[in-house]
Amino acid sequence: MASKWFVAKRILLLVPVLTGVATLVFAILHISPGDPARVMAGQRATAEQIELIRQETGLNDPIWIQYGRFLADTAQLSFGDSYVLKPNQPVASILKNSIPITIELAVYGQLMGITLGLPLGVLSAIKQDSITDHITRIGALTGISVPIFWSGPVVIILFSVMLGIFPTNGRIAQGFFLSDTWLFFGNELPVTGLITIDTLLLGRYDAFASAVRHLFLPASVIGIYSMALISRMMRSSMLEVIRQDYIRTARAKGQGEKITMLKHGLKNAFIPVITVIGIQFGTLLGGAVLTETVFGIQGMGMILVEAIEVGDYPVVQGAVLVFALLFTLVNLGVDITYSYLDPRIQQ
Amino acid sequence: MSTRTQNTRRQGGIRGLFARIRASQFLSELASNRLAIVGLVIITTMAGLAIYARVFIGGVPPLTEGQYQAIIHSNLGGNSDLAKASPSLQYPFGLDGQARSIFPRVMYGAWLALKWGTITVGASTVLGVGLGVVAAYYGDITDNVIMRAMDVLLAFPSLLLALALVTIFGTGLENAVLALVLVYTPRFARVVRGAALKVMEDEYIDATVALGARDFRVLVRHVVPNCLAPVTVQSTLNFGLAIIDLAALSFLGFGAEAGTPSWGMMLSNGVEHGLHSAWWWAFFPGLFLALTVLGFNLLGDGMRDALDPRMRDAVD
Repeated sequence: MASKWFVAKRILLLVPVLTGVATLVFAILHISPGDPARVMAGQRATAEQIELIRQETGLNDPIWIQYGRFLADTAQLSFGDSYVLKPNQPVASILKNSIPITIELAVYGQLMGITLGLPLGVLSAIKQDSITDHITRIGALTGISVPIFWSGPVVIILFSVMLGIFPTNGRIAQGFFLSDTWLFFGNELPVTGLITIDTLLLGRYDAFASAVRHLFLPASVIGIYSMALISRMMRSSMLEVIRQDYIRTARAKGQGEKITMLKHGLKNAFIPVITVIGIQFGTLLGGAVLTETVFGIQGMGMILVEAIEVGDYPVVQGAVLVFALLFTLVNLGVDITYSYLDPRIQQ
Repeated sequence: MSTRTQNTRRQGGIRGLFARIRASQFLSELASNRLAIVGLVIITTMAGLAIYARVFIGGVPPLTEGQYQAIIHSNLGGNSDLAKASPSLQYPFGLDGQARSIFPRVMYGAWLALKWGTITVGASTVLGVGLGVVAAYYGDITDNVIMRAMDVLLAFPSLLLALALVTIFGTGLENAVLALVLVYTPRFARVVRGAALKVMEDEYIDATVALGARDFRVLVRHVVPNCLAPVTVQSTLNFGLAIIDLAALSFLGFGAEAGTPSWGMMLSNGVEHGLHSAWWWAFFPGLFLALTVLGFNLLGDGMRDALDPRMRDAVD
């Protein structure tokens, strides 16, 4: 079957790309202006101490040996230990705790974007050139023009500072940190790391409510952006489908407008939008850097920013690699889904 | 179609481009798009503000007597709120923590955003066009090497690649620009490669080659000018993105130096210090940032709609 070959080919193509990605990430440590050994040793280290660290960490080895070691480690998802942020703690475990935070935020934001963006896009297309259409289009263009690091502060000022409806930052109210020792406070329970799911699993509905209240603003800010993009794509895709012969045929055979649109229109128009949703999800992961900084959420994005600030190279490398890996995997998933839905793409 | 080909043959280079724009009714179609005109008006206004700020305000706006008094006041512990007065007739956007009027700073921010945005987009366009046409024209290994390298760069979410590169280059506005140039180049390379492949199917390219033109001449005089329409659209759409990303890098503390009146820096200051006490610190720089980006998106969207359908597919 052709599709199996397509999938295999698509996965094989990942190997050179990921090797390239790893090489670029390797370069972060070795081309950067800072001396990693000096960063590791701290401000007051003597030259001997720094030299000792160089030897211990293999920084004195020839570059290709270091490169080989880096590739081997990376393939096993081992990124070394943090220098500064959380000294001597493995980068992998730092990331393991922060990845779910970032993913959870992106998922809720994306869900908001999809639930609002799809209907708006369809409506806009069906009523092309109406007032509804114009408003939706201008709204969508505005939505993609507003950077998250502005819409974020604006909703915080409006809903947290002025109206006091939502909390300003963090993932959950302070009280839950103090009264309990589970979840993100320690690692006593095997948890998903997704706060809205963990709190429900543990039956802590008060904590769940607090988590949702904290998630609402950041997820909305992401949601508005993603809604704008999805509604734009949905509109243009739907408009294209409406002009197809099979829609005319469906109408000609006397089928009702609603059924024609839903059964023939929507189904076909949705296929290209899947790509946008997928790519969008990857972009959201990258945007986490900004959203998390604005809303004070300790996800992977915020950890990356902090690591760059203090020169904690292993953490920077690990975070960038994981982001790129997630991004690539999401894109792979999108391509494969797309190829099943629309087999023409395989040629 | 035939008029276009003739025009191109008669006049290569830039003049040929203008001839083709007229022939394809690109401009007249663009002019009938009201939203695109709105975009153009926004951009022109911002450019006007930027030039005004550059000429009449210069780097850091000097303190007025009132501002000076306010600083003295706040330093003496008298009335510290004066130092960050809210918007008023005298100071339309209010004062910042150092008792500087925010309005002229925001205008100067337009200058910085448009200047560095132009440099970023310009450099990545030139690089991308070069790589794209070379990949399309020579094909085979050249194509593979160039495009696989582009694939690696495209395997990162754009802001993250910028951050990774900033870690390598070091922070600072120039380095942030350099990082973003590398982030955007692959997009242009892709668009141009696609467009160039379509152009090369045309017979006038075969004719030029048959006449004995060298590769360089074919590329520069015939392939590149015919790819410029989708490139222009891509540049316009990318302009908004470049302004946002540059501001984002400054916002995160890896771009403009502290104290620079760039929108990203002012936003960062507003979020860090003014969220609870001085909403206008973050509000106005961000508003101008969003408006400018909207202008470029409106214009770029209109340009894409006005574009020859054959080339429309190439643009992201």
